Amino acid sequence: MSNSYLKLANGVDGFFIKNDRFNTTVLSVNFYLPLKSETISAYALLPYVLTSCSNEYRDFSKLNFKLNMLYGADLVVSSNRVMDMQHVKIAISVINDEFTINKNSVINEAMDLLISLIFNPAVLNNSFFEDDVEREKRKLLENIAAEVNEKRVFAKNRMLEIMFENSPYGISKYGTEAGAKALTGQILYNAWQEMLKTAYVRVQVIGKQLPGGVFEQITKCFNNFNRENIVDYKNVTRLEKANNIKQVTEYFNVTQGKLVMGFSSEICGQNAYDLLLATDIFGGGPYSNLFTNVREKLSLCYYCSASAVRGKGFVMVQSGVEAENAEQAQTEILNQLESIKSGNISDFTFSASQKAISGALLAYNDNLGGIDQWYSANITQNEPISPEEAANIVNSITKQDVINAAKGINLNTVYRLMPKKEGE
Amino acid sequence: METKIFTNKILGEDYTVTTLKNGLKIYIYEKLQFNSLYAVYGTKYGSIDSTFNVNGKEYTVPDGIAHFLEHKLFESEDGDAFSKYAKTGAYANAFTSFDRTCYLFSATTNFDENLNILLDFVQNPYFTAETVKKEQGIIGQEIKMYEDSPSWRVMFNMLRAMYFNNPVKIDIAGTVESIAKIDDKILYDCYNTFYNPGNMFACIAGNIKTNDVLEKIQNSVKNKEPINLTRIYPNEPNGVVNDYTEQSLDVAIPLFCYGYKINLQNKVSLYDFIAMNAFLKILADDASPLYKRLTELKLINDEFDAEYFCGNSYSAVIFDGESFNPSQVAKEISREVESIIKNGVDSLLLESVKYDMYGQAVKRYNNVESIGHMLIDAAVFNFDYSNELEIIKNLTETDILNAAALLNKENSVLSVVNKKV
Repeated sequence: MSNSYLKLANGVDGFFIKNDRFNTTVLSVNFYLPLKSETISAYALLPYVLTSCSNEYRDFSKLNFKLNMLYGADLVVSSNRVMDMQHVKIAISVINDEFTINKNSVINEAMDLLISLIFNPAVLNNSFFEDDVEREKRKLLENIAAEVNEKRVFAKNRMLEIMFENSPYGISKYGTEAGAKALTGQILYNAWQEMLKTAYVRVQVIGKQLPGGVFEQITKCFNNFNRENIVDYKNVTRLEKANNIKQVTEYFNVTQGKLVMGFSSEICGQNAYDLLLATDIFGGGPYSNLFTNVREKLSLCYYCSASAVRGKGFVMVQSGVEAENAEQAQTEILNQLESIKSGNISDFTFSASQKAISGALLAYNDNLGGIDQWYSANITQNEPISPEEAANIVNSITKQDVINAAKGINLNTVYRLMPKKEGE
Repeated sequence: METKIFTNKILGEDYTVTTLKNGLKIYIYEKLQFNSLYAVYGTKYGSIDSTFNVNGKEYTVPDGIAHFLEHKLFESEDGDAFSKYAKTGAYANAFTSFDRTCYLFSATTNFDENLNILLDFVQNPYFTAETVKKEQGIIGQEIKMYEDSPSWRVMFNMLRAMYFNNPVKIDIAGTVESIAKIDDKILYDCYNTFYNPGNMFACIAGNIKTNDVLEKIQNSVKNKEPINLTRIYPNEPNGVVNDYTEQSLDVAIPLFCYGYKINLQNKVSLYDFIAMNAFLKILADDASPLYKRLTELKLINDEFDAEYFCGNSYSAVIFDGESFNPSQVAKEISREVESIIKNGVDSLLLESVKYDMYGQAVKRYNNVESIGHMLIDAAVFNFDYSNELEIIKNLTETDILNAAALLNKENSVLSVVNKKV
């Protein structure tokens, strides 16, 4: 697969990722803005307002009807954290013209639609329409409120909030209730303008061929904005090793408890595959220490797994535990990490992890959404390495690299979500 | 051995279905331009198969055995399957639903070895009283985890209010009490009944040549005596047990499931399935007048969804989501169903839904995993997917109205999970 890279405007990179195994073409426009507590809510809401209607399709039913007519073109919208940036993704995927009933030109029509949603929204007098903002705001507020419903995700978010207290990184990707409530059509308009003027932008097209004129059209749209003060998106503030471990326990009406542990990592970076491997050996696949020992041998948890957020440099362990086992599970999880730090990694586990990770990387190119995520998550390099190149790096990592990476992993925060006792 | 080829003329691709002498059906979809391969070895055995007749003798077994067996088969005398896959780098998993149990792997290398592992552990059960007892603890914890899941509870509460007797109303994993009754002997009995090749299927999609797979499977699959298996489902009266059910859990916004029980005389065909899904899109998808009204009334958010839930012996249409006023949502849905039945279908909306479904069906072939799951449905329901796009193209208003006519408000149930006060 060959990728081509084009600079479309100041701070706007265009990638064509050629892949001819799909029936579909994707256009994905990615904006990266500094993660700030005062703007998180605006950028959590903005992509949803932009993709619910537009100047051309004033009503979301009409827009959805249009998407149906484009052979079920899908809009993919999200607002997430990538490193210290808030990453706003607005993408469309559409079937290739050759598969339409009358060989219509749906690709270009879908690309035009996405571009018009981003650059030509329904606005008046420097403001989005309040009814559009209110409609999407209600849904955002309900998402924020509903975070408590699934305790596995809720417990993970609470741990992040505690670990990154006083930092915008600790705020939920949906922002806060107060932040969402304060949003108006005007605030959103200013955020939209700011995004188009200052965000780092990565435009990705994934498909058999680059649809004619798409990059040129996007360049033209950005040329209407004075793009001078592009945000610095490559620097990351890493969590330092904690002197005191933060421990918080909260009680809910549940039958099973959750134990989530957060760790700082001295190694940080999208391409830190040594950290990825160390975390996988610690608690990734079924060959990992947490699975084989804490879950299978000791039966302390129903699930118990570790994951690394490489771009920000931290590691999390998530587990489901009975209240009476929480203490022992925590001790055992830490013992397993210590065991890796002291070099206790079997050849079997090391090789299993290396094979599983490199295999998963090689599978990226078989998944459209995966490819889009891969290239939009890796912003430290102007031209990110491909999943195949990453697989080669993984295969060259040694046990000593993994031990060194593990040595930099240190407990920072423990969050326990526990069942309320009778009468509480 | 008999092989049939199913050609999708629009995509210019095909898949084969081969039936071995012992009855095993093998579905293969070549996708040579992909790196990955997705392989499933499955049995038409799920949580609803708790009463059955084998060679003239009737059995009723505790709930949760299909799922229990799924957990136990990963273990064998010489170690568990996960550690064997760990040597090849494949990703392995398994799942049990109402009507099937599937064991799968996905991999980018070592296909032969991975297939050997899959066929070997599924064909060689190994349980002892001690390992069964240990698993009861693990599954007990899994059951408890589902007790805390509002989305799981709201669905099963609805099924319990909908069905008097059909076992679809029972949790797939069973209950702590039912799994306590499971022992190694019952497990072997159920295994020998449902893991007979005549009741099983293999589905493989990805970078592999059809003949290579067939040869490999033929050489590894054990031949077993065919058995005469009949599933027995309890008689299910018309109507529902309760039209409303609720539970309180730690949720911020109430969750709801609003379902219509459908009494079907015949097995669902792919045509019926597509027509019902088209009706649901016309009724409740995001371009529909109902969706617009529910959004404007602030009654639903992006979680709102509609599904045709059907299998051997059960069939229902289910709407689920989050709402501060689930009763009003249910009222609006039933009003719109009646309005479509009475006034017919908006022809432009029908046209757009057909385009949408056509495009979504084309997109399914972008991914070996989604092709694999399509093949599983083809095996379990005996669907021929090669003409799916043609069926969608040819859908008419009559098809939609026939599907709509299956929904009767008298057979509907609203299940709500409320905030605990």
